[in-house]
Amino acid sequence: MPIGGFVISVDPDIREEIVTMLSEMEGVEVHGSDAKGNIVAVIDTETSEVMDDLVHGLQKDPQILSVGLTYLNAEDEIEKIVSGELRPEIPFGRKKKNRP
Amino acid sequence: MVMTRRDFIKKTAALSAASFVGLNLPFAKHVDQAGATDADKWVRGSCRLCGLGCRVELGLKGGKPVAIRGVAKSRTNFGYLCMKGMLFYKVMEHPDRLKMPLYRESKKDAFREISWDEALDIAAKKFADAKKEFGGDSTAYYGSGQALTEETYLFQKVMRGGLQTNNVEGNPRLCMASAVGGYLTSFGADEPIGGYSNIEKSSCIFIIGSNMAEAHPVFFRRVMRRKMDNKDTVKVINADPRVSPTSRIADMHMQFRPGTDLAMLNAMAYVIIEEKLFDKKFISDYAVFKSGKNTVDMDTYFAELGDYTPEKAAVICGGNITGDMIRKAARWFAKSNGTVSCWCMGINQRKRGVWANNLINNLHILTGQLCKPGADSFSLTGQPNACGGVREGGGLCHILPGHRLVKKEKLRNQVESAWGIPAGRIPPKPGYHTMAMFKAVNEGKIKAIWINCTSPAQSLPNVDLYRKGMAREDVFMVCTDIFPTLTTELANLILPTAFHFEKTGVYGCTERRSQITPKCCDAPGEAHAEVWIVREWAKRLARELNDPVIEQCVAPFDGLEEGYDLPKAIWDEYTQKLTKGRDSDLTGATYGVLEQMHDGVQWPAATEEYALTGGTVIKFAREYDPMAESHAKDDKPFQFYGPAHPDKKLWIWSRPYKGADEEPDAEYPFYLSTGRIIDHWHTTSMTGRIPELLRANPYSFVEVNPRDAERMGIKPGDMVELESRRGRVEMPAKVVEGPIEGMVFAYWHDMHEDRMINKVVKDAFDPGSKEPEFKICAVKVRRLSGPKRLTPYVV
Repeated sequence: MPIGGFVISVDPDIREEIVTMLSEMEGVEVHGSDAKGNIVAVIDTETSEVMDDLVHGLQKDPQILSVGLTYLNAEDEIEKIVSGELRPEIPFGRKKKNRP
Repeated sequence: MVMTRRDFIKKTAALSAASFVGLNLPFAKHVDQAGATDADKWVRGSCRLCGLGCRVELGLKGGKPVAIRGVAKSRTNFGYLCMKGMLFYKVMEHPDRLKMPLYRESKKDAFREISWDEALDIAAKKFADAKKEFGGDSTAYYGSGQALTEETYLFQKVMRGGLQTNNVEGNPRLCMASAVGGYLTSFGADEPIGGYSNIEKSSCIFIIGSNMAEAHPVFFRRVMRRKMDNKDTVKVINADPRVSPTSRIADMHMQFRPGTDLAMLNAMAYVIIEEKLFDKKFISDYAVFKSGKNTVDMDTYFAELGDYTPEKAAVICGGNITGDMIRKAARWFAKSNGTVSCWCMGINQRKRGVWANNLINNLHILTGQLCKPGADSFSLTGQPNACGGVREGGGLCHILPGHRLVKKEKLRNQVESAWGIPAGRIPPKPGYHTMAMFKAVNEGKIKAIWINCTSPAQSLPNVDLYRKGMAREDVFMVCTDIFPTLTTELANLILPTAFHFEKTGVYGCTERRSQITPKCCDAPGEAHAEVWIVREWAKRLARELNDPVIEQCVAPFDGLEEGYDLPKAIWDEYTQKLTKGRDSDLTGATYGVLEQMHDGVQWPAATEEYALTGGTVIKFAREYDPMAESHAKDDKPFQFYGPAHPDKKLWIWSRPYKGADEEPDAEYPFYLSTGRIIDHWHTTSMTGRIPELLRANPYSFVEVNPRDAERMGIKPGDMVELESRRGRVEMPAKVVEGPIEGMVFAYWHDMHEDRMINKVVKDAFDPGSKEPEFKICAVKVRRLSGPKRLTPYVV
């Protein structure tokens, strides 16, 4: 369950519109914004896959100029990986022919 | 109110982001008082997934990485990171990591695990046998802009001083050799004059051949912020055959046929002279005009620009280019209080890459847009240590550490003396450049090659041709890497290495800034730092060849602990003995200094006291650069002391427009260009193993202009074949107003045989820089079928 802190930058003229859009997205908390079009958001998702999808979607939005990450905590997820509870999904098989 | 641990972490995340934009959040005090911790320890280092050198802190809990945050006080990124950097911890913990040496005598056999003793003995024997039977030049090292400086330096030391060959190359030849050639021939010295901080003082930003929004997103953020904060006074020009996410912030997008930018840049110079927008005093004080081997005057230069009036150039360029557009761009460029040009592979990866670099540099020299805050001719670098390790540390076949040319005896002798080896030990002839090296592999001239931290079996142009050589049974190939790659699949010996933060070392980023990343985690299994591997290999090599000089190459480092003491000793030797007094002087940038810095040190920095200020922000300007003062030959404020120009002048080059090596024709009617996508790094051996990143872009696709798509009946998602004279691939189509009509653009990260675009790309290269023309070749495009389910693939 990673938690990330982001500065999302947009044209100041559409800041309010984007703040509203972000606030309605699941897993996104908007903590403030400024007159330059910088929006401070925290994204809290079940997995980093979900976070990445979400951020990727924002990056593709032509109204959003930049999605800047400032902080990420993935402790819970890493603990699961280390303990073996969660294994990063590799949706393809590695070639085995040359390996022991 | 009790704050849960997750609440605490969320508020910490919010405060981190808010602090970067100066917002005060109401719960700041409560978080401070909560006393909870999100990590036991924070360790400062650099991101390794592009050339910017963003500084990060890795948060550890119980010795494991659990969190990442940007370093707000770092002048490279002011705390911002991108998604690639954010997820790199998954590489560290990944189950596919190589953990034991793997060996096979024949490339037809399966690998078997062997001990390090056995592995190093085999590597030493094979290289020694090659040298004994065929000479030193039958051995080669092919390294990487992702290797630490200490690694590149030690590898090349053993190759040159030990095996007596200059067959030392690296993948930066594929990405920024043309920028090196451009800087040396224009300014007399390699690497940019200024740095990132010029963006915040600029009034015009000229982006050409760079999709920085995807390839350098944190730098793009600075450019975007400069524009958005100064909408009316800062102009952004984006010049590119392809409209990309970078174009979102541009005032003007100049879209031209691939390769015709040489004509466009000449036309901008034409306007600057015709309209008297040049800086007469700057030119008179600091510049000369060059045409071929001759020094000429401005009138002659201007006459040679006669073929590139804006109107004539517009005809050559095609696309949306008009004479008026070129005039407007030239005026913005010349008249602004400070103009920064930024370019990347779109300029460098070209048959005429050095010329394209020269033509950008020309505009800056003509207008005096150099050596002052807000003005620079700035080549962006793709890899984290192409500059520091390879350009500065001696990682190319023609250069020794400290920007010394191999061909100059005096400079070779300086290196031999510093290493304590006999004069004349380093051969006078430069080795094979990258394309020549793999041609020599094909021809069986190279019998033993060491490939470190890179995958030429995927990243070379016309790659199938060169994979044949790497697959030869009589070519012994060692690979040092953290994951299997298409290249390790062709190796005899695979040696597992430590990853970032699992070893200590220095990266030198785009802006001449060296930054240290310390070891804070153990590498998995029996993986070792490369510096340990090279040292132990060289000791065995010395015994095999009964050659004490090889032993001498690593004797200063014998017995040192590999995590810190060993790389520190190597760094000390390199900086104190081989950069002292050179233009890339890093004498003051000791580990002690680098560890104190939030970011690092920009050379030249000759003393620790000066290095602690951060070093030289603007080269050649006496106000900023102590070396400009110490090398001053007159009382002028700028001193161009670079080693390549005996006259200590800037050179404005007359360079004609010449097209690509392979232009479209009736049989192959489309331009093909290739590039990077935001989620993936190079050949995806790392990012392809991070499921989030892979899922975002699981395979390459090709961008097709909507008008071309309509003509060919291609709909979004349809499978399309791209075929050149060298090979063919098939991939899904994305129909988008990106590439100019008549051009397709494919992403190059995919290692699946059906979609590996480098099978199609041409291996023509620049005659000066020897950098291949990845960016332009001719293909035919054919719709194969509707959308098809594809399987992502990583070796």
